[in-house]
Amino acid sequence: MQLLWQILVNGVLLGGLYALMALGLVLVWGVLNIVNLAHGALIMLGAYVCYYFFTGLGWDPFAALPVAMSLLFCLGYLIQRWVLNLVIRAPMFNSLLVTFGLEVVITYLAQLLFSADFRTVNPSYAGANFSFFGATVPWVRVLAFGVALALTFALWLFLDHTRIGRAIRATAQNLVAARLYGVNPRQLYALTFGIGAALAGAAGALYGVVSQINPYIGAGLTGKSFAIAIIGGLEKSLYVLVGGLFLGVVEALTALYIGPTYTDVVSFGILVLVLIVRPTGLLGRTA
Amino acid sequence: MKPALKFIFAALVVGGFATVPSWGSAVLVQFGINALILATLAQSWNIIGGYTGYPSFGNSVFYGLGGYGVAIALVQYQLPSAVGLILGVVLAVLFAFLLGLPVLRLRGHYFAIATLGLTEVMTAIVSNLDIAGRNVGLILPLAKGDTLFLELSLALLVVTTLAVAWISRSRFGFGLIAIRENEVAAAVMGVNTTLYKILAFALCAVFSALAGGIHAYWITYLDPGSAFDVSLNVRMIIMAVFGGPGTIFGPALGAFALAAISEILASKITSLASIFFGVVIVVAIIFMPRGVADLAQNFRRFGWRYFQENIKAHRV
Repeated sequence: MQLLWQILVNGVLLGGLYALMALGLVLVWGVLNIVNLAHGALIMLGAYVCYYFFTGLGWDPFAALPVAMSLLFCLGYLIQRWVLNLVIRAPMFNSLLVTFGLEVVITYLAQLLFSADFRTVNPSYAGANFSFFGATVPWVRVLAFGVALALTFALWLFLDHTRIGRAIRATAQNLVAARLYGVNPRQLYALTFGIGAALAGAAGALYGVVSQINPYIGAGLTGKSFAIAIIGGLEKSLYVLVGGLFLGVVEALTALYIGPTYTDVVSFGILVLVLIVRPTGLLGRTA
Repeated sequence: MKPALKFIFAALVVGGFATVPSWGSAVLVQFGINALILATLAQSWNIIGGYTGYPSFGNSVFYGLGGYGVAIALVQYQLPSAVGLILGVVLAVLFAFLLGLPVLRLRGHYFAIATLGLTEVMTAIVSNLDIAGRNVGLILPLAKGDTLFLELSLALLVVTTLAVAWISRSRFGFGLIAIRENEVAAAVMGVNTTLYKILAFALCAVFSALAGGIHAYWITYLDPGSAFDVSLNVRMIIMAVFGGPGTIFGPALGAFALAAISEILASKITSLASIFFGVVIVVAIIFMPRGVADLAQNFRRFGWRYFQENIKAHRV
């Protein structure tokens, strides 16, 4: 029972971070209709920004998080403006391949620049923890969970209550009508992708604090983000949060009861099953 | 070029390839085997992706199952390799039928992601199977000579290309193209879309599994990570798309061109070759989304405007 409780707490804390990882992917997918295979690579870059600010300049990793977000926003903006905007009306498969190409380029450039070694971000308070109804909880994970929740909430507020947010949602619903109301799609697309990349950067910075990083973590993280996007559907950032928590808990339970080597079978198995049974997502509306 | 001329030219190229072991260096022969296997994979992806319009990321499952068929037969049961190849093909075709049925109902992004998910699931399942050597993999008995493998993979590529050539002019193939262009319309015209799609999926399972089997037998080592490698799947897609999806010779040409370039770059710095690959994907999709085959046809007519038109057609 004690073990189960501990595992559940771990799963929920990890799930919050998963949700933040998937959030950017879902935003880009929902608005631009681009399935961004480079999403995990952007997360990886965010983690490295955090790592270099921590080791090089001695910044606290949580203070480096906004830096990672701004840098990734700029990168995302440029990628959409000068690359993805050129294929946005092509068949969906073409943009998928282009983002895969970007993933390869980013990953191997990272390998050249940062080397393939595993890196960790270990702030002085990394070992500090407290007891939560008998479960040991590291403060860093709680902090990461809190930041992830706050950013998810912030995105929801942004999309629902600001002018740009409304423009983004309008474009997702009907591009022609949005244009008639004065939305410039080129910039809006770039902005949306930039926000998606910034969220990936934030997720990466937090990921670096709770786990090891190397240039190849991207592909696996893209896969997890997919699973969450499919479970939660593409409509509301709240659903993404539920999807992330669900995946975190399911992975933790699988590791406990079936074996840690089976977590991928279960998470991708769920992904395939949900796609076959309910392609609009477990929580999405029926088509 | 006239079709007949093309086939004569292709026959000459095949003849040339067959003689490589007698004059080429060992490195060239090994490169040849690799390129031929990649070309076979690109060509079989062409059946489901190019002709039917279903961008499968599950072809590396077929490839992996083919490899494991050979490996399990040789290592665990000491059977002859031909039996292993057949076992691999049977496994892959079974997989194509069982999982193709639900997965081929999905379209676009969803089909791509579902097949990607299947590949991950298979990797994870196989790394937990004792008979497949878990995540350590299996070491196969050493086989004789590169020459044999060159001829084998060459023969496989020829058969695969002939199958594609047959598809491009048969009733079955027209059905697949109709599905690609408009699935609902195809169904209305009386094409049994489910059956056609599954047959196409199974057909590319056969060729991919044979390629995987030959490769595993040649490399004499197999582990889940390399057998079900998603990036190999993407590589076959890129090669097919670069050459010209939905054409008879395009995918094989694309495979040879890209394999040669990345081989040359990899001899300098490995990561540079990968970066190059990424850049080629991005640039090729933006400037010539219908591949070299289409470029060769239309460049003379449009000149440099060809690239401009492509961008104009797809940008915001």
